[in-house]
Amino acid sequence: MVNLNGKKLSVVSSLILACSAVFIGLSLFFPWWRLLLYAPQYPEGLNIIVYPNKLEGQIDIINGLNHYIGMANFDEKSFPELSYMSYLVGGLAVLTLLVGLLRRKSFLYMLIGLFLVGGLIGFFDLYHALHTFGTHLSLKAPIKIKPFVPPMVGENHFANFTTHSYLGKGAYFVVLAFILTLIPIWKDRK
Amino acid sequence: MKKWVPIATGLLAGFVAATISFADFSHSTKTAAIDSSTKSDAEKVYVPLGKKDDYYLFASGGHSGQLFVYGVPSMRQIRTVPIFSPDSATGYGYDKETKKMLGGYTWGDFHHPAISETNGDYNGKFLFATDVANSRAAVMDLKTFTTKDIIKVPNTSGPHCAAFVTQNTEYLFLPTRFSVPVGQKYEPLDNYSKKYRGVMSALTFDQKKEKLNIAYQVALPPWSYDLSDAGKKESGDWAVMSTYNTEEATTTMEINASQADRDYIVLFNWKELAKMVKEGKYEDVGGQKMIYPEKQKGGIYLVPVAKSPHGVDVTPDGKQFIASGKLAPSMTVFSFKKAFEAIKNKEFAGERNGIPVLQYKKVMEREVNPENALGPLHTQFDDKGMAYTTMFISSEIVKWNPKTGDVLDRVPVQYSPGHSVAAEGDTASPDGKYLIALNKLSKDTYLSVGPSHPESMQLIDISGKKMRVIDTVPANPEPHYAQMIKADKIHTINVYPKDPTNKDAVYKQSDTKIVRKGNEVHVYGIAMRSRFIFDSKAKRPDEINVNQGDHVFIHLTNIDFDEDITHGFAINQYDLDMEVQPGQTNTLEFTADKAGTFPLYCTNFCSALHQEMNGYFLVKPKQ
Repeated sequence: MVNLNGKKLSVVSSLILACSAVFIGLSLFFPWWRLLLYAPQYPEGLNIIVYPNKLEGQIDIINGLNHYIGMANFDEKSFPELSYMSYLVGGLAVLTLLVGLLRRKSFLYMLIGLFLVGGLIGFFDLYHALHTFGTHLSLKAPIKIKPFVPPMVGENHFANFTTHSYLGKGAYFVVLAFILTLIPIWKDRK
Repeated sequence: MKKWVPIATGLLAGFVAATISFADFSHSTKTAAIDSSTKSDAEKVYVPLGKKDDYYLFASGGHSGQLFVYGVPSMRQIRTVPIFSPDSATGYGYDKETKKMLGGYTWGDFHHPAISETNGDYNGKFLFATDVANSRAAVMDLKTFTTKDIIKVPNTSGPHCAAFVTQNTEYLFLPTRFSVPVGQKYEPLDNYSKKYRGVMSALTFDQKKEKLNIAYQVALPPWSYDLSDAGKKESGDWAVMSTYNTEEATTTMEINASQADRDYIVLFNWKELAKMVKEGKYEDVGGQKMIYPEKQKGGIYLVPVAKSPHGVDVTPDGKQFIASGKLAPSMTVFSFKKAFEAIKNKEFAGERNGIPVLQYKKVMEREVNPENALGPLHTQFDDKGMAYTTMFISSEIVKWNPKTGDVLDRVPVQYSPGHSVAAEGDTASPDGKYLIALNKLSKDTYLSVGPSHPESMQLIDISGKKMRVIDTVPANPEPHYAQMIKADKIHTINVYPKDPTNKDAVYKQSDTKIVRKGNEVHVYGIAMRSRFIFDSKAKRPDEINVNQGDHVFIHLTNIDFDEDITHGFAINQYDLDMEVQPGQTNTLEFTADKAGTFPLYCTNFCSALHQEMNGYFLVKPKQ
């Protein structure tokens, strides 16, 4: 009955895709990326916490400090992505659920393709932001430092700051969701 | 045979290693006790970097008009909070609000701090202060350690006998040291007994609005009221205060106020007084509700006590009150229960100035007279109900049991202690552990600074049976009394939250502006690391231009919402200075009477570019 011509996904795979959709949806409520800065005067650390739709953490304080090195202000307005990211992610969750309902293998391939493209764009977008802020330092800044690009994940040093970048829970949920979309391919292999 | 040998050896070795590594050979129940007694004095007071003190000490600053905040047991001074005197270090008394609050006075004399209470225990929310010099009461918010309100109290002059709060902070009482005519009108001293009064004021405090208010006053006889304490638990509706100069002397008090063998403890029921006021049993005196005890009878009684007592302190269980002799070398323990019975049975030994006098023997429980202990002044308590009394003349602290009168220990202090303060030692549940002697003289204790020396505070470990002085630190003039509160009861804020209702506040650089209304100039500016912005659209955002004679308001908001990033604001030659703490908005109001060019700058070091945080105040001369 199932896999009549090898193009149909099993019920179990369908459920796995539904799970994947749930994780994508869930990721909206958790931070996707986090930058933690330490300085001698800030042993408690300052945070930039990025959600798909908002920024949290001590943004104002960080902006206040960044103007010394001539870094542009960052706030929600400087990231237009934040205004539509949650719709894209929500849309992806709906698509994943639809693929699970329609149970067509070809749709699943397209979904995985979409996932990969979206993920790459996402990573590029974050890198672009880090690059822009770290290298476009005002020439009139009172403290001149070498332009820098903090890593997406890992440690970095500039001026009196040590930064640690992490992927947030939301990002891990999306990775998990992606892995879940791969399982049906292996499971329903001929 | 051979096989079990390595196995057994291995197991044995394992057990030995595990025992050495993990077993606890010490008798753990005894360890703590041994630790505290074997710790050196230095170890007991050492609080290393990264650790914090166990207690806050709030010591009054006497005629500095300030409050001194210390950490205990390190005895490190953490903060000076100005209350009754201006303070250029914090701009207190220069900005519009605090200037208005000080009411033109340039100093105060702050003796007895009192922390707000819930069920007879410190609740850590507010601290009350009174000013003997200019008859004021103040309240400090313990969220920000800043003074929030000061009230001038009429008809009274010198509330030394204050402040004490009732057990749920219903009232803050201010009895007075000096008697004056009501309204403080001119009145020759020959009319002292007839026209002068020792007015006691009952204040209430609105916690939400952070405002003090006078509920009513009591025109007590023209005596001096020295110290006081509120009842606790069964005596919770009552309060006691000591008197001297019941002789009603008007000159050379040292001699003339020390003649009578007996003075009094005034015992009063504040709930009954409040009821009398509610029933209209008072007279209107210049807008104040004044109770005259000889006319509106009830609620106030006199207890005879050895002459010129100083402190009067209620035991933590609220059952007894202890009067300290000052001129009589004894502490007298009175029973509230016995006093209540005598009042109920109307067993009075006549009246004095229209107030019923209780019979000494019917109320007194015991007189405690430690050998050669002279000048008992004040008593504090520990967690076991033991009393600690300062002896001013014999320079010592005496530990004794108020239930039996047994003297348990004595320790000399350097020199002449006034008050002492124990950890939550005047509440319904003292902590024990520490007592600090607030000594009036230090003389040879520290490096000499000339003929006058600092006051001296001595930290005493009272956790054991014997007291032990473990630290000695100097203090500026002059801690009279203090409150010692467990550190975890104080909850401070890190930054002032944004206040959208404050019309003077500006939180965005782009909203800064300078507005002229006739000859009034309002500057709505911000301070941030490391610049002032008064008008973001101006050619020079950090320049203020006015005409000579203009009335200038500088509203400044610190938009660094970052703990400890405080900015100051001063205008050279204009004798002006204010502080804006993180998130705070403050206003300077003045007349630009001097024409010229005046640099303005940040006074509170805020950043690496603090030195660049300046601008100009330009005053165009009148044509």
